[in-house]
Amino acid sequence: MKLILTGILAGLLAATAAHADEMVFTSWGGTTQEAQTKSWAAPFEASSGIKVLQDGPTDYGKLKAMVEGGGVAWDVVDVEMDFAIKAAKDGLLEPIDFNVVPKADLDPRFTTDHAVGSFYYSFVLAWNKGAVSGEPTGWADMFDLTKFPGKRTFYKWSAPGVIEIALLADGVPADKLYPLDLDRAFKKLDTIKSEIVWWDSGAQSQQLIASGEAAFGQLWNGRVFALKQDGADVGASWNQNMTAADVLVIPKGSKNKASAMKFLAAATSPKSQAMFAEASGYAPINTAAKAEMPADVVKSLPDAYVDGQINLDMSYWAENRDTIAERWYAWQAK
Amino acid sequence: MSGNLLHRPPILRRPDGTGGALPALTLITLFFVVPVLALLLRSVTEPVPGLQNYAILFGDGTYARVFFNTFLVATVVTAVTVIVAFPVAWMLAIMPPALGSIVFGIIILSMWTNLLTRTYAWMVLLQRTGVINRMLMDVGLISEPLPLINNLTGVTIGMVYIMLPFMILPLVGTLRAIDPMTLRAAALCGASPFDAFRRILLPLSLPGIAAGGLMVFVMSLGYFVTPTLLGGTSNMMLAGMIAQMIQSLLNWGLGSAAAFILLLVTMALYALQLRLVGAKRMTGGI
Repeated sequence: MKLILTGILAGLLAATAAHADEMVFTSWGGTTQEAQTKSWAAPFEASSGIKVLQDGPTDYGKLKAMVEGGGVAWDVVDVEMDFAIKAAKDGLLEPIDFNVVPKADLDPRFTTDHAVGSFYYSFVLAWNKGAVSGEPTGWADMFDLTKFPGKRTFYKWSAPGVIEIALLADGVPADKLYPLDLDRAFKKLDTIKSEIVWWDSGAQSQQLIASGEAAFGQLWNGRVFALKQDGADVGASWNQNMTAADVLVIPKGSKNKASAMKFLAAATSPKSQAMFAEASGYAPINTAAKAEMPADVVKSLPDAYVDGQINLDMSYWAENRDTIAERWYAWQAK
Repeated sequence: MSGNLLHRPPILRRPDGTGGALPALTLITLFFVVPVLALLLRSVTEPVPGLQNYAILFGDGTYARVFFNTFLVATVVTAVTVIVAFPVAWMLAIMPPALGSIVFGIIILSMWTNLLTRTYAWMVLLQRTGVINRMLMDVGLISEPLPLINNLTGVTIGMVYIMLPFMILPLVGTLRAIDPMTLRAAALCGASPFDAFRRILLPLSLPGIAAGGLMVFVMSLGYFVTPTLLGGTSNMMLAGMIAQMIQSLLNWGLGSAAAFILLLVTMALYALQLRLVGAKRMTGGI
């Protein structure tokens, strides 16, 4: 019964799948996917003759439904790295064919058997200069309601970042973050809970900060970069910036696997990565990309702020994703 | 051929409508009954066979809170909707028909506008830097923005607005059927306008309030978009929780169990509504 049903569902989903010489790339929408389309998909279409259809936003539930039902409509998906590690373990992903995708220059931090890096980013502290008096200098300031009153915005979903921020603000040394002390983190977050506005998409984080609806927030550096490019009056602190990565994966059962592998090779090439970094403000995952980029752009990337930088532990998160998520959403709902 | 048809026993010739209903029935079976069964199946088979998903839902404080929230929001929204809708419905009932149909048109028009658009419009209006707070601060009525969004207030405002037509429409029908002479009679007998309302109009309009109220309540129970956009995380309702279980936690067993409970509650309330409407019919009234 279940099989028949998932079959029907899969058939419906597959009806939207790409034809030969076409493939579907799925990402998170907004300025990030625009940059991916421009920097990766467009040149790839020109050189390979394979048409890249865009879809989005990434939805892990949908991805799982497609794979389990056998009607995979997405060929390459941009996902968070901790999800990719977990999904690979759950058998939802195709292994990457490194005969097609050159591995030599890929940053090993973001390369696994089932995923190659998409880009990597830092969570930074950003604020609306009109809504904040003074200049916040670190995560601890986001927990100081007397010195910095006002709403603060954090990433809504259970993911690497906010727990670590709370622990750092509570005085946990950066090298002692893992394993995460969840009790301590939630206790710290409780102190500002009533002042938190959650953002659930990059575009929303930009809107909240730009309008002053939230005075500060934990934002992806690329979104702050885009805000500044648009002339918004925002400040940013890179103190203890936290890196995490998006990776590109191929859902198991992809109908256009060969094209998808070729796309991965093109998207992770030094040139494509350099173009994307320039357009988005996110860092390239190909170590040879920097040679292709203007010096001032290189200076604006997370790579330029390694002093005090914290690498969020993706393996720890992949391992504990479900337990943390349960507590996270239970705490949020309280 | 035609002779054959004429000689059929009448029972076979009588159009009973089942043939015409077949496409619709197939559609409903394929896209509603079957998926619902699949849902039920998932809820008792994932991750292992058994009732553990239901045990988790009923045994955990967080989920209890979400259930409570869901009923709280639905109750508040229904109550406020009744209060706001009643005067509008009464006005519509006693208005000259030409004017009434214009007002009616406006109400219907709002129903045709995209739900998401309307909810986003409320976000723009209600947020701290939104139109309402700006205006109130500019005229000096408040010095700090009112917390109108990311809380129960925001959810209630947004949902009442969306639910109003569903309350007004059945209520107008009921109110129109009330003989205006009963109110005049009450006044002649010395009843104050309030007494006439409380003792004549309100009891007579109860069937309409019950029908509309139940509809609004049932619809509110399963609402997703508005609570998600205008509420905070602590206002999470069942539908939001189900989406989270399916999309973020990938815990489909638990999500299916929650969805099935929501369906059961909704069906039970619907049955109640049928009984109420049925009872109303039986009394031969309104």
